[in-house]
Amino acid sequence: MAISAATKAATDALAVNRAPVSVNAQEVHRWLQSFTWDFEKNRTKYPTKYKMANDTKEQFKLIAKEYARMESVKDERQFGSLQDVLTRLDAGNRVHPKWGETMKVASNFLEVGEYNAIAATGMLWDSATAPEQKNGYLAQVLDEIRHTNQCGYVNYYFSKHYHDPAGHNDARRTRTIGPLWKGMKRVFSDGFISGDAVECSINLQLVGEACFTNPLIVAITEWAAANGDEITPTVFLSIETDELRHMANGYQTVVSIANDEASSKYLNTDLNNAFWTQQKYFTPVLGMLFEYGSKFKVEPWVKTWNRWVYEDWGGIWIGRLGKYGVESPASLRDAKKDAYWAHHDLFLLAYALWPTGFFRLTLPSAEEAAWFEENYPGWYEHYGKIYDEWRARGCEDPNSGFIPLMWFIENNHPIYIDRVSQVPFCPSLCKGASTLRVHEWNGKKHSFSDDWGERMWLTEPERYECQNMFEQYAGRELSEVIAELHGLRSDGKTLIAQPHTSKDGKLWTLDDIKKLNCVFSDPLDAL
Amino acid sequence: MSIEVQSGKRGLTDPAMAGTILAAIPDQPLDTQRKMNYFVKPRGRRLSEYEVLCCYAQPTPDWIPGGLDWGDWTQKFHGGRPSWGNETTELHTTDWHKHRDPANRWHAPYVKDKAEEWRYTERFLRAYSADGQVRSIDPTWRDEVLNDYLGAFCFNEYGLFNAHSSASRDCLGDTLRMSISMIGFDKIDNAQMIQLERTFLAKLVPGFPESTDEPKKEWTQGAIYKGARETVQDIWQATYDWNEILWSAHMVYDPLFGQFVRREFFQRLSSYYGDSLTPFFINQMQLYFSQTKDITGDMFFHCLGDDAEFGDYNRRMLRAWTDKWLPRTVNALKDFMGIFAKVPEIKGVTSKDAVEAALDRVLDDWKRDYADKIGYKVDTAALIKTVLTGLK
Repeated sequence: MAISAATKAATDALAVNRAPVSVNAQEVHRWLQSFTWDFEKNRTKYPTKYKMANDTKEQFKLIAKEYARMESVKDERQFGSLQDVLTRLDAGNRVHPKWGETMKVASNFLEVGEYNAIAATGMLWDSATAPEQKNGYLAQVLDEIRHTNQCGYVNYYFSKHYHDPAGHNDARRTRTIGPLWKGMKRVFSDGFISGDAVECSINLQLVGEACFTNPLIVAITEWAAANGDEITPTVFLSIETDELRHMANGYQTVVSIANDEASSKYLNTDLNNAFWTQQKYFTPVLGMLFEYGSKFKVEPWVKTWNRWVYEDWGGIWIGRLGKYGVESPASLRDAKKDAYWAHHDLFLLAYALWPTGFFRLTLPSAEEAAWFEENYPGWYEHYGKIYDEWRARGCEDPNSGFIPLMWFIENNHPIYIDRVSQVPFCPSLCKGASTLRVHEWNGKKHSFSDDWGERMWLTEPERYECQNMFEQYAGRELSEVIAELHGLRSDGKTLIAQPHTSKDGKLWTLDDIKKLNCVFSDPLDAL
Repeated sequence: MSIEVQSGKRGLTDPAMAGTILAAIPDQPLDTQRKMNYFVKPRGRRLSEYEVLCCYAQPTPDWIPGGLDWGDWTQKFHGGRPSWGNETTELHTTDWHKHRDPANRWHAPYVKDKAEEWRYTERFLRAYSADGQVRSIDPTWRDEVLNDYLGAFCFNEYGLFNAHSSASRDCLGDTLRMSISMIGFDKIDNAQMIQLERTFLAKLVPGFPESTDEPKKEWTQGAIYKGARETVQDIWQATYDWNEILWSAHMVYDPLFGQFVRREFFQRLSSYYGDSLTPFFINQMQLYFSQTKDITGDMFFHCLGDDAEFGDYNRRMLRAWTDKWLPRTVNALKDFMGIFAKVPEIKGVTSKDAVEAALDRVLDDWKRDYADKIGYKVDTAALIKTVLTGLK
């Protein structure tokens, strides 16, 4: 069209129709796929053995400004609830203490996952070639910043309102001391960002988000609400609205590689490794946090796990990907066994090492013991009796001079740490499937607790060299470690961690720990 | 009361459950420190909400300066490369967690601002269209300059946006990572606003092409953006040091080439051609430029350039990087001078004296706000002379 004719046409068009006109987000988004161009050096900085297709689409078709609008609306609702009605109700201090302590861990550890997912999706944004696929990952980058801030906000809120702010107020500094930290880093940090980009996507989006965020972000809200906590549901359910986009991103990752025949050689192995990696930590830790970190119980963890992990994810979600050659992980059956006893095994060790936490733990009460026995027959005979013995020896009382770690030493139950998952286990005491295997490599001993992790290590030992807490602290006295890693309250002498949440119970101090003269050793040295 | 409760029961509102919970809560708090992240050194007098929510979210070990964690990475890349490592950049610091966004923007304030801009953009476009303002745009400016050359600038912004992907993956601090992601997000917003303007014009001007074909051809094959395209490609994909990516994009290329194209060409000239639409979008881009300038200024001048131990070394590296990227940027500007042959000439606006004055403003700003701050010696007159050789 000639230029002058175009102007006339515009004028004529206006004469016919003067209705206001705007442009919606979809009208811009439909051009996005054409924003890129070919050039010689155009390749990712994070190589992948998979080939991601150039024409992959995204399911959530957003532009930057529309993304901001949607998220801003959600923020208004969420922060409005928190800052207005929940504060006026003093909701932050009407949470059962056991659950208030659980949220010190749950919110901060989820924050680590969300934070590392910023970098993970930055890597995927770099790796993808299709602009729409990049755009999907980009929205997730921003989402993960949102979630990092939201998780931080939960701890921030509890710091202000909950009756025991210690641990909430400095989780980012004190979280590194104890036995749960390194395992969390494996699944929530390094597992998302270090490796083949598609392998990381499988860890983050296909397993972490499509599988374990359901119990971690959705199921947890029921447990929270039952225990008086309305803060967590307000924030976490808002987080979950974004997780749908992330699951869609994971789905599209698979779609983008599906047409490459070579993908089938790796995909199911990577999925199996990712599933085992994630479940090895989340299955015991979530079960422990829910069942041992609450007063009111919603349902046995094994049921939640079966519904969300085994049926919903392993069956329906993976089933949908079947047309792309994806199969349910071979390790799913072994994971199902873990869902029964692994969290009970872990609580035993976590409680034994309670001084290294940044939260208070509580032994099961009589009514809780009955609930455990009813839902996990055989629980009392194996675990309940041990807790009775610890309680009888005064494990909650600082004057007793007893922490359960001493019982493990006295009874020759060494605690090892799995090199690949970094999850602690006690082979002589566990009721779950863990068994001890030890390998020597590069002049160092490495312990493992299961076939799947051992196989990952045997294939690529250079990826799993991280020292564990026993190696790191070997030869050092417990109170010294606690003081150095900031495990003290604002008075400078009382421990943040405590072995009870009783309102009348005495709080342990650094001096109480020092009197025990408990020196760390590496159990592998004795082998 | 059973401890297993029905799904949907709430401890805050169920009287029996609430009673049990309240009975377990101590009469007095167990600690007096109610400020989260109280151990963080605030940038201002008090710890801001931004610092509370962002600082030390990253679990880096203490061998990456500023980290609070210990030990090694629990899983590494194939072959053993670490998750994050000091070797990913040539720059050094005593604390990778020192950076702060001067505007204190965590996610919520960031999206709130952008959501307001979107809502206002929609209202503005409706008013603009109903008012018939499109009739006043010079046809050549509209159909050739806006369509082809503003359209092609979309790819410049899209390429720079993509340069932030690896930087957001590899950088070594939490406040850095959030800032880098946000300033990258602003760049794709710029690219999308350009296409939005073209789509809008296509709705108002029958026959105005909405397709990106012509602009892309101009970007990939044309002479006017040749130097720009080659520079953007190198920033995006040929540069691995995440600090160098940010320095080259935000401290050399964009404050010179981007500023000239946006402010001194499209923004300055549009009013002369009856175009009140383009400045609406360019002003949003200029807002993002200004916010980015504050952020990257804090990163490179306050945190790295003034680092107590590595400041001198860092400024030397930044000067070396400027030596590398400035000639390419000057070349991009020189190529861009060809655009003045495409617009209807207006004396004192598109003539050489006006272009030279515009270049002088951009280079003077850059010298004062960037080069001087790292002690980089630059002869702006000589650079202007080189750029003007591209004027047809």
